[in-house]
Amino acid sequence: MRLLNKITLNLFAISLFIFMIGMVAFYYVLRQEVDSNINLELKKREISLNKEFDAAHSSISQTVNLSDTIIITPISQPRAAETFSDTLLFNPETSKYALYRQLGFVKTVHNQDYYIQIFKPLEETDRLIIRIIIMMNILIVVIILTLIIANRHSSRQDWKVFYDTIAKINNYDVNSHEEFMLQHSDIREFEDLNRVLSTMTERIKNDYLNLKEYIENASHEIQTPLAIINSKMELLLQSGDMKEKQYKTVADAYEASNRLSRLNKTLILLAKIENRQFPESKPVNPAFMINHQLESLEDLIHAKNITVVKHMEDEVTVLMNPYLAEILLVNLIKNALRHNITGGELNIELTKEHLKIANSGPQLQFDPEKLFKRFHTSSSSPESLGLGLSIVEKITTMYGFKVNYSYQNNMHVMEVVFLKA
Amino acid sequence: MKILIVEDEKPLSDSMVEYLAEEGHLCEAVYNYLDATEKITMYQYDCIVVDINLPDGNGLDLIRLIKRQSITLGIIIISALNSLENRIEGLEIGADHYLTKPFHLAELNAHLKSVNRRISYGGSNQIIFNEIKLIPEEHKAFVHDVEIVLTKKEYELLLFFISNKNKVITKAGLAEYLWGDYMDLADSYDFIYTHIKNLRQKLIKKGCEDYIKTIYGLGYKFGLN
Repeated sequence: MRLLNKITLNLFAISLFIFMIGMVAFYYVLRQEVDSNINLELKKREISLNKEFDAAHSSISQTVNLSDTIIITPISQPRAAETFSDTLLFNPETSKYALYRQLGFVKTVHNQDYYIQIFKPLEETDRLIIRIIIMMNILIVVIILTLIIANRHSSRQDWKVFYDTIAKINNYDVNSHEEFMLQHSDIREFEDLNRVLSTMTERIKNDYLNLKEYIENASHEIQTPLAIINSKMELLLQSGDMKEKQYKTVADAYEASNRLSRLNKTLILLAKIENRQFPESKPVNPAFMINHQLESLEDLIHAKNITVVKHMEDEVTVLMNPYLAEILLVNLIKNALRHNITGGELNIELTKEHLKIANSGPQLQFDPEKLFKRFHTSSSSPESLGLGLSIVEKITTMYGFKVNYSYQNNMHVMEVVFLKA
Repeated sequence: MKILIVEDEKPLSDSMVEYLAEEGHLCEAVYNYLDATEKITMYQYDCIVVDINLPDGNGLDLIRLIKRQSITLGIIIISALNSLENRIEGLEIGADHYLTKPFHLAELNAHLKSVNRRISYGGSNQIIFNEIKLIPEEHKAFVHDVEIVLTKKEYELLLFFISNKNKVITKAGLAEYLWGDYMDLADSYDFIYTHIKNLRQKLIKKGCEDYIKTIYGLGYKFGLN
């Protein structure tokens, strides 16, 4: 759950709780107030009634303005002086029971005690209370909702920086050549976070660049001694006055140093692709390049008795560095030839959207994910450096293409998708 | 052929001198930019092999100097820098070939010969080895004056063999000459085997002696003995 939602929800729950308690309390307080107000009125009525009784007791025949909301009962036992209470009375007009507030008091007239109850209807005031409560409810709900919405809105503004930071870190690529810039925030915590992150990424990037530079320098520096070793061994091999055993020893050493040279050259190439040191792109024609490669590989295709099936749109061009395009295609084609079977097939399909190179061969004995990993070699070709497909992947990534591997109908399919939407 | 080698790494320079001298070339070696300029202006060479990074200068400047003075000679750059820009720049200012260190001496030799042919004879000469005749300009090969049809790679292979006749040719050197850098050599070895098998068959069929000898585990040798 998002922090913002969590905060809003908490706020909402707390407000609702307080609001409910407040409403109950408010109802009782209001009730109390209204009751005491009515009591006061009943009390006034009692006084005025008393006055009327006193004035009328000499001539009792004169009727007091007694409405049906007065009940006078003669009593023999003494009763409690004055009591307020709520009671239900039948209203003959509406034939319903209605709630009344009553005041009961005792009045002595001519030594006779009368218990007098006077009433005041509560219906009106009840309705009033309900209306007030409803109004209050609406008002408070509106206030709470407004507060929550306003809070959410302003919080979102504050959190924007945070989410921006998260997104940027998520997309952070130490290889990227774009500068890592975080937004400024007026909230100290976020500002601190961004500052810490900025220094951290800066440090990581510096370390990474140093390491990379070191490796590149080392690779370059290795070239010259390697050249010396290779040339010396080549001379040694030419000398011709060695025994066969010595020949074999030198040949093995020569083979190993050659392997090292190739490895080094390829790693330098990979580093260069990563560093984007092949900037200039122009439209290249893959079909032309593929045909050229197939031509130079025709002997091998014949030797393995491979059938080549081409479906190429000749006019397709891709914007790439020509040199890298060449390396990409060569590696894909050679890969498809190397892992082909005698009498197998090589299918090449080229459209504006993709390039598909498929070759016959038994299913992979390992996870296809590993195909593009550096130094992953299958046991069948121990001399392979295991960098070919890694180069393919690097080049495709650099141009924002996608390379997919699949196995369909006993064919290994390498698909390069040219994403140029 | 008179060759000037400008390379500051003495052991490497020595190797080149030794290999090329055995081929019958006249080699001189200098180890810095200053000596190289002096030699170039004072003597005449057929070819120059230049390293780009020299202790007191840049090999590319040396090439510019040669071009400014309109000296006619073949130029081969050898460099540890294998960037495309360097390669393009080197070739643009007039170098004939660019080799990346580490390279094979046989490769250097083959390139030197082809550069020399181009300069001395305008590429129109013939290469003759006993009954084999090559016409580089037309990429044609003849045995006993009968043309044999070779694929491009087979022709290049034969040319490489004849350029380095009687030498031990390593598989790695062959592969690099035929396929260039960044080739996973595992399959290139298979390719080479296939190429050599085909080439040998074609040559023998036309009555050519079998000059290609396999040296187990190492490579091949092209020659009489």
